[in-house]
Amino acid sequence: MGPPSAATGKNAAAVQPAAAGAVKRTAKQAFEEDPSTPPLVKMTSAPYAPQRHINDHYDIVGFISSGTYGRVYKAVSKRPTTTSQPTQQTAIIKHPTTGKPIEAFAIKKFKPDKEGELQYTGISQSAIREMALCTELSHPALIHLVEIILESKCIFMVFEYAEHDLLQIIHHHSLLNRTPIPASTLRSCTHQLLSGLLYLHRNWVIHRDLKPANIMVTSSGAIKIGDLGLARLFHKPLHALFSGDKVVVTIWYRAPELLLGSRHYTPAIDLWAVGCIFAEMLSLRPIFKGEEAKQDSKKAVPFQRNQMGKIGEILGLPTKSQWPLLPAMPEASNLQSVALHNPAVNRAAGLEKWYRNIVASNNYATASASANAPSTRGPPPDSALDLLKQLLTYDPLKRISAEQALQHKYFVGESGQEKVGWNCFEGLESKYPARKVSTETNEIGTGSLPGTKRSGLPDDGLRSGVGGVGGKR
Amino acid sequence: MAANYWDSTQAIYWTFTKAELAELRNQIQENNQQIHTKFPLPDRRLMNIYMQQNLIKLGRRLTARQQALATAQIYIKRFYLRVEMRRTNPFLIMATAVYLACKMEEAPSHIRLVLNEAARQFPEMGVSDMSRIGECEFALISTLSSRLIVHHPYRSLNELAPLFGLSNEEQTFAHNVINDSYNTDLSLLYPPHVIAITAIFLALVIRPAGQPSGLQNYASSSSHASSPLPSPGAHQISPPSGGGPSGAAVSAASAQQALSGGMAGFKAAGPKLGKLVDWLAESKVDMAAIVDATQELVSLYELWEQQYNERTCKEAITKFMAGMKP
Repeated sequence: MGPPSAATGKNAAAVQPAAAGAVKRTAKQAFEEDPSTPPLVKMTSAPYAPQRHINDHYDIVGFISSGTYGRVYKAVSKRPTTTSQPTQQTAIIKHPTTGKPIEAFAIKKFKPDKEGELQYTGISQSAIREMALCTELSHPALIHLVEIILESKCIFMVFEYAEHDLLQIIHHHSLLNRTPIPASTLRSCTHQLLSGLLYLHRNWVIHRDLKPANIMVTSSGAIKIGDLGLARLFHKPLHALFSGDKVVVTIWYRAPELLLGSRHYTPAIDLWAVGCIFAEMLSLRPIFKGEEAKQDSKKAVPFQRNQMGKIGEILGLPTKSQWPLLPAMPEASNLQSVALHNPAVNRAAGLEKWYRNIVASNNYATASASANAPSTRGPPPDSALDLLKQLLTYDPLKRISAEQALQHKYFVGESGQEKVGWNCFEGLESKYPARKVSTETNEIGTGSLPGTKRSGLPDDGLRSGVGGVGGKR
Repeated sequence: MAANYWDSTQAIYWTFTKAELAELRNQIQENNQQIHTKFPLPDRRLMNIYMQQNLIKLGRRLTARQQALATAQIYIKRFYLRVEMRRTNPFLIMATAVYLACKMEEAPSHIRLVLNEAARQFPEMGVSDMSRIGECEFALISTLSSRLIVHHPYRSLNELAPLFGLSNEEQTFAHNVINDSYNTDLSLLYPPHVIAITAIFLALVIRPAGQPSGLQNYASSSSHASSPLPSPGAHQISPPSGGGPSGAAVSAASAQQALSGGMAGFKAAGPKLGKLVDWLAESKVDMAAIVDATQELVSLYELWEQQYNERTCKEAITKFMAGMKP
């Protein structure tokens, strides 16, 4: 894993589009690469012409991150120039839920599947899903899609820009003398995350890839769930969900029913991921940091013994009494082998012990010292432990739902009347470093980079501490 | 969205009034007056039937699911609201719409398979390069503004069928009516539940349950059940006793008459119909929409019976394709 963005400190934060001058041009070039690409379709007729051109509307500030899909760039609305016609001037784009103008954008540029010469090979299922779902969905806790432009064999998804993501924030805390994330920030983040998730689940969408890198945070402390590339509708699917994508959710956040080969999983898998994220925000490291068993052949999906063991080390292995349908899981027979490889699962101390240790080592301000600002300095209330237990419940049928979680005592308090703010930074004295936006030539790579193969990208080895919309680990 | 039709892009951007539809189409025609005159086309609904039947054949080759084919048909209808058909290769549009719809319905087919099967099904397509489908996919998505999630009446039908105690036979019948509705403008005019209720209504009016000949009819149509979409509704909607080609028209006329004469008379027609009528009276369903949808379907079946000719449609397409070649 590469250095998180916090390590680069203020230099990265200080990069301004205007100051970047010459280097900025190279970032732009990479973005616009292959200007020789013919127009969308060489048919004589008008209907095939692209309706909007990306460069007529946006100025690229720099490069944010890359993944299997392509790359993410930071952009701003094109400033009117003297040469541009008045009709081409970009109107101010306003956010539909806040009504405020959107000042910066994250443009996700998809590339065709194949390497080498650019040609139309069909858009990936993942891009299609993300395009269709983002077009349809709208919620304050979901990243807002401004528009999609299809041009020159590339797909540009233009999103609102978010200055931070949870991974970046977690890293920031783990580096600076390992200070804990303030309890108020933890509570607001989790609440916002759950309200976005409730919206998704009510609309029959399972996210299937929740992890800190996919959860954006704006500079005003609003949580924005991003990367719907794996998300899909689950209302009366034509096929079992399993048959579509054999592997979903990044390994550390993958729910036990998925590890055990469940064919018909439910939105509960997202709640397990929320539990993992919640725990990670407390301890500043992934709670179940297993190693992924790679697929050896295309057909067989391996049993993730190591990951199951990591969960077992803390929670103990699941039992039939906890999870009545456990024996029906396709991989249930493999559970025995987990203990053989990892005897620690037999000595699991339980989630409560884990939680108490974390809270004790986090050095929260004591009640007296934090009298001035108890909510931002002191430890989380014990109800946080109860919520965590309910999120990290083995049996998906018993696991708390997004709707129930939002009504949990941790959020509504003993009175049931407490409210949670929509600014997770409220009351904080310090600011988090801005997202790293690179404008340097060597990080942009050459114009011919396919941007599709993980190994083919120099910047792909970096942990996506630099984040971005859908930054992949 | 997916849970709430009223918030969906379908409700907001892809549902029109009849006047709006006419205006959109007039606009296209005005912009293309010359080729409209030069290359006349059969009635739009006949063209829709032609496309649907060819989509079904392509769908069988790909073992595509019926819902994906319905989605493809919606994409095509929306596309041709914005693009002049005579300036396109409709076979390529059909192949691409199926390719995209299968992906959207989470049952994808490989682009090469789609190309090969489409080339076999439509020799007139004249495309042998995968990238042409990929290219057309861009055009399709762009023209549809990436609004690709479609709400079909099938879900409403499945939810409402138990409520009205529909028999399997009646439900299949209603299902087939919904299939046929894609050949009309109904999916551009009304919410899916209106179309579903109309289909249920027609199933109950035209085919009272329990008639032996009706069952026979069902048995013959269910032999197609393994295929993605059943054969044309014109045959299935023939009333059990009708037999001849005028059958659909006769029973269709009775349905129309019944509607215009008010619902009250139906209460006597049977307990299921009575329940539907009571339910409609209490619910906030747009009755005018249901009456209109019924009439649209009735007139579709008349047209289908009397005028549909596959060859005419095909020749009209190949003619403009040849004539428009640069």
